Amino acid sequence: MKKFLKPIEPLLDKGLNTAESFIHTHRKVNFFFGAVFEAFDGLIRNPKETAQSPPFIRHNYDVKRFMGAVLVALVCGWVLPAIYLYGWQCVVPKLIVSFVAGVFIADFLWVIIAREEHIAEGGFVTCLFIPAILPPQAPLWLIGLGAALAIIFRNILGGVGNNLVNPALFSRLFLTICFPAFLVTGYQMPLIGTQGIHTVPQGLDAVTHATPFTAFKTSGEVASYLSLLLGTATGSLGETCRLALILSGLWLIKVKVANWRVPVSYLGSVFIFSVFFSLILGKAVAPPFFQLLSGGLILGAFFMATDPITTTYNQTAKWIFGAGCGFITVLIRDFTTLPEGVMYAILLMNLLAIPIQSLMVKIRYRL
Amino acid sequence: MKKETMGFKGGFHLLDAYPLPFCTIIDEISSDGAPEQFQFPVTGQKIEHVIVNLCPTEPWALPNWVILKHKTAAFLSMLKEIKTSYFSDARFHLAINEKEDRAVEDAVNFARAEDWIKVIPLCAKYPQDDPVILAQVLLGMDVSFGQDIKSLGILIVDAQTVSAMYEQGIMRKDVNSRYVVLSGTGLRENEIIRAELGTSVEKILKNKVKDASTCRVFMNGPLRGKEISDFSQKIDWSVNNIVVFEEKSRKVLFPMFKADELAFTTSLLGELRRCVYCNFCDDICPVDLEPALYYHSYIRGEKHKARLYNMGKCIECGLCSFICPSKLELLKIIRECKALDKHE
Ligand code: SF4
Ligand code: SF4
Repeated sequence: MKKFLKPIEPLLDKGLNTAESFIHTHRKVNFFFGAVFEAFDGLIRNPKETAQSPPFIRHNYDVKRFMGAVLVALVCGWVLPAIYLYGWQCVVPKLIVSFVAGVFIADFLWVIIAREEHIAEGGFVTCLFIPAILPPQAPLWLIGLGAALAIIFRNILGGVGNNLVNPALFSRLFLTICFPAFLVTGYQMPLIGTQGIHTVPQGLDAVTHATPFTAFKTSGEVASYLSLLLGTATGSLGETCRLALILSGLWLIKVKVANWRVPVSYLGSVFIFSVFFSLILGKAVAPPFFQLLSGGLILGAFFMATDPITTTYNQTAKWIFGAGCGFITVLIRDFTTLPEGVMYAILLMNLLAIPIQSLMVKIRYRL
Repeated sequence: MKKETMGFKGGFHLLDAYPLPFCTIIDEISSDGAPEQFQFPVTGQKIEHVIVNLCPTEPWALPNWVILKHKTAAFLSMLKEIKTSYFSDARFHLAINEKEDRAVEDAVNFARAEDWIKVIPLCAKYPQDDPVILAQVLLGMDVSFGQDIKSLGILIVDAQTVSAMYEQGIMRKDVNSRYVVLSGTGLRENEIIRAELGTSVEKILKNKVKDASTCRVFMNGPLRGKEISDFSQKIDWSVNNIVVFEEKSRKVLFPMFKADELAFTTSLLGELRRCVYCNFCDDICPVDLEPALYYHSYIRGEKHKARLYNMGKCIECGLCSFICPSKLELLKIIRECKALDKHE
């Protein structure tokens, strides 16, 4: 790679420098192409800013690597297993549509209209979540709409660093309200009935199946734990292969991108509360291990609840945040007719994170 | 002896992250005028605790072997003579890098027969050698940043000061030169020199800098030290090292394949962003503060509020700015808010 790049580097560098100086000398162009240029420039070159105040040496770790780690974990956690389980014809078009609608249309238009400084790479992470949390048979237009909504919603709140709730989950909430039919049905068994490429645009072709949790609610039948772990049970596109999700989630924790307190407290409290409720109510509520392994809990606990921007900053408050997520998840799963509670739990706790954070700061510093 | 696991939360292994090779040749540089004299560090105050710091945590600081020359026992008997003539009723604490096995072994063997000295092997994690942290970890005393610790009866000396005290106080020799470590990407070679006190920085760096127009010079390291622009400045006893960095103020193509080229320069190594609440800054903070709170108070225009969050405890080690992936100038903000405190 290095050898191959060496001869063309000066050429590229020179061309880019000319483009850059052109944009800087023609101020009017800046708001139209400048941001787009800078976004691409930012991907291949490092900025020229140097430290002007102490410390004069900085660590080689920036937000790009931070987001890159999340992308790598997501690809290993759900994209590769989903391609194996549902076939590439199902997964790849969805990813392309999601990226095109989210990053290349919604984000670019926003940057141009709102005259933002640059495009943040956080959009890739959000758009990689969208197909994962929708059913395998969701039509492509639904995915595109979801991605665009998520990005626009995030940008309205002020972009990466200012978002109040997880944009991908907010977009799914919106889709659940507007198009309930697609989100309640549309779950197919993996490894069978791989979709032909012609059925992808319309969706809803192969035989659909109830998700394990809906099946439990209607007939009380508990899916085998092994099938839940390995991903041969039904579920949203990205949440089925829980083994891969757990492994890549642990890797994220190891590289310190995800804070270990959130998944530990989230999964722990789901376990504790479901043990508690099944001791009281017996067979009427789902058993603890089934709760842990079904639905989007693993994906939510390792990848969505840990999104650093929408949790609390204080480390002790993260325990409360995770425990609250677990409690609401169990409540919704056990006592409402809704099939899944992870989305609502995380969204609600995202909002509650703000009062929790200010309360913890007040307690800690005795204000 | 049981290995003591003392330490503090946070910190960063700078020595592992930036290994700096030094050649062993030591140049001598003399000043133009008459060299200044070493000042004995205590005058009058009563000293109860002497901390001998043999645990440099910054890669650009003077390594132990230059002074100890791998003869720890000889160094310690020097220390004993200093104690009997000057600090007869003080307790000595020897903070030593636990990775230097031989030195630790020698010191422990020596201390077995003596009751005035205690050897404490420490993990060389920056900022372990900060006075506040040393006093807290070794003596369990709460010292605040910027306080005059000599008035509390604590004296912190490094290896070089010990040997100078010995030469001046016991051998009655003139001490007018010290070791200075020169390192950094802006230099042709990392080296250790012996310079007379009062030599100008310009003279020390002569013929050693690669390209004078793209260099920045820092005294006492890029983390805690200060930048110098006036090269006629003279070296005094407080100058431990001079670091010269290349100023990488141009864009570099494909930075992910060029980590070596960019490391150890003044480059920010990333874009300025908003805070992403990643918790890196409070994980690394050695005194358990939450620097992002200061940043948020600051951008909301509430500098006075930032001071409520225990800001006085900050030892200005600079690690929070160092690690922040959004490249926020946290240390600058902290200093600005602290300065506000003094005006009132
Ligand atoms: S290290 Fe920087 S980006 Fe991360 S929480 Fe602290 S201030 Fe925010
Ligand atoms: S500069 Fe202050 S706040 Fe930042 S890491 Fe060091 S002690 Fe903590």
